[in-house]
Amino acid sequence: MTLTKSVDQVTILKGDRSKLKDLLRSRLIECGWRDEVRLLCHNTIKEKGFNLTVEQIVQDVTPKARARVPDSLKKELLMKIKSSLAAQEGIEL
Amino acid sequence: MGEIATACQHFAAYVKEFGFDSFSVVHAFFSACVTKEARRRKALSCLCYTCGGSGPQLYSCLHCIYFGCKGQHILDHLKTSKHVIALELCYGMIYCNSCKDFIYDQQCQAIAEKHLRKEARNLNKSVSWRPWIPSQVEMNLLRQHPKRRHVTPCSSIGLRGLLNLGSTCFMNCIVQALIHTPLLRDYFLSERHECSIKSSINCLVCEVSRLFQEFYSGARGPLSLHRLLHLIWNHARHLAGYEQQDAHEFFMATLDVLHRHCENSQNNESDKNSIAQKTETSNTQCNCIIDQIFTGGLQSDVVCQKCQGVSTTIDPFWDISLDLGEAQPGGGPPKSLIDCLERFTRAEHLGSNVKIKCSNCESYQESTKQLSMRTLPIVASFHLKRFERISLINKKISTFISFPSELDMTPFMSQKKDNHGDYRYSLYAVVNHVGTLDKGHYTAYVRHQKDIWVKCDDDIITTATIKQVLDSEGYLLFYHKKVLEYE
Repeated sequence: MTLTKSVDQVTILKGDRSKLKDLLRSRLIECGWRDEVRLLCHNTIKEKGFNLTVEQIVQDVTPKARARVPDSLKKELLMKIKSSLAAQEGIEL
Repeated sequence: MGEIATACQHFAAYVKEFGFDSFSVVHAFFSACVTKEARRRKALSCLCYTCGGSGPQLYSCLHCIYFGCKGQHILDHLKTSKHVIALELCYGMIYCNSCKDFIYDQQCQAIAEKHLRKEARNLNKSVSWRPWIPSQVEMNLLRQHPKRRHVTPCSSIGLRGLLNLGSTCFMNCIVQALIHTPLLRDYFLSERHECSIKSSINCLVCEVSRLFQEFYSGARGPLSLHRLLHLIWNHARHLAGYEQQDAHEFFMATLDVLHRHCENSQNNESDKNSIAQKTETSNTQCNCIIDQIFTGGLQSDVVCQKCQGVSTTIDPFWDISLDLGEAQPGGGPPKSLIDCLERFTRAEHLGSNVKIKCSNCESYQESTKQLSMRTLPIVASFHLKRFERISLINKKISTFISFPSELDMTPFMSQKKDNHGDYRYSLYAVVNHVGTLDKGHYTAYVRHQKDIWVKCDDDIITTATIKQVLDSEGYLLFYHKKVLEYE
């Protein structure tokens, strides 16, 4: 079994995944990421016309949006996932 | 979304043939995970049937039992099996392969909402962020009031001057600081305070709530705070009277009265609910908005000089008062807020006259005492002790104390090691005292919007620069936490 898969399983099982997703969402809103991405989507639609599917917008915007996620947020989330896994195993970080 | 119940004929045909059951079950188990059993099922069996992977984004076919990764895996399945409708599991969105796009269905959204609430209850958390869907009441209100106000960087909404009712500048400057506290503003503008009508005339929280409405009404004339003053007189007797008061004392009294009135309305609420809940809440620490924003924990470590045994106590605090006088042996007076804080948290020898009974070695010994921040409040307010009373003579210390616009409190925390917390703060209000003790005047600098500062001098509001703010004398300094923790 791959690492990602076991991380997925553990976090889903404990219900932490849903909480982590909430945290991620709140942070992305706080730091203005959501507004930036909204603007990116806006621009894509303006550029390519209104007959776009969500999939096309996602394809266009995803690389730019990914690059804009702050490093500090990635670090915070990694810490949270680590401590969630460690708590599961009874290890203290 | 809007008026159309479903946006796509393919989904309408699907529902006619199969109903909503598959959607409901798949969503409850694999998208929202409403129970522990659902989480177990999702963790163990929600894997792509093509590659065996767990995501990051999986779709489930709503015609048969099939999970597939976003992209080719699910699309191949839909194509070869001639199935049309699939459910995206990360966000719970319905995908129509004939339209090649996501579609909205009102009934499905209602089911999804129900599942998300159930999941939140099951995990003991609040419901995840949802887009705002106005209720009927809100829609009517929006229709009745078609005028919209757009907040731009140069708009003055939220700024009002305050009339001086005869030496009431001590109150005006504190009110300006409170009104410009971001989290307090969010609390009051979202009308979170609930009070019974009977007690609301006497409730300071209701009065502050009303004040926020006045500040953000768009009117520009100055406000009179006579009702607030009257309430404070009634509830903090030591401040009653027409003479000039100390702004710091008024700030502490205001927090205290607000805190007490929050408790009152909370108790009223739990009266209506069950008694069991009441005992539950009374055991835990107060969770009112004042305590949530302003309460921190101060740790005091007393170390016995004989056995090095440490006795630790933690006390709640609303603000930190800092000495400005000469530090004892040859230290010289502090020059900056950081100096003051270092001195505040320095280990202090209690002297040979003061012997404290050590709980460890059971004897009276000389000891040292050190203060540190165990927990920090969201708003850290510092009181520079500029007014001194030495042998019955009141004196004002007017020395310049520099303070930063961005402050990191990490060095003053109790636990420095193994500490991942973020303790950065930014300045948002400064209360200044000009003049002498008996003939003085209070003004406040407040941060109106990001990087826009204004000076509030009773009914006169003028713009200011950050330099003016940082060059001012400073009596009370208000800092707001930059990153809020979630629980």
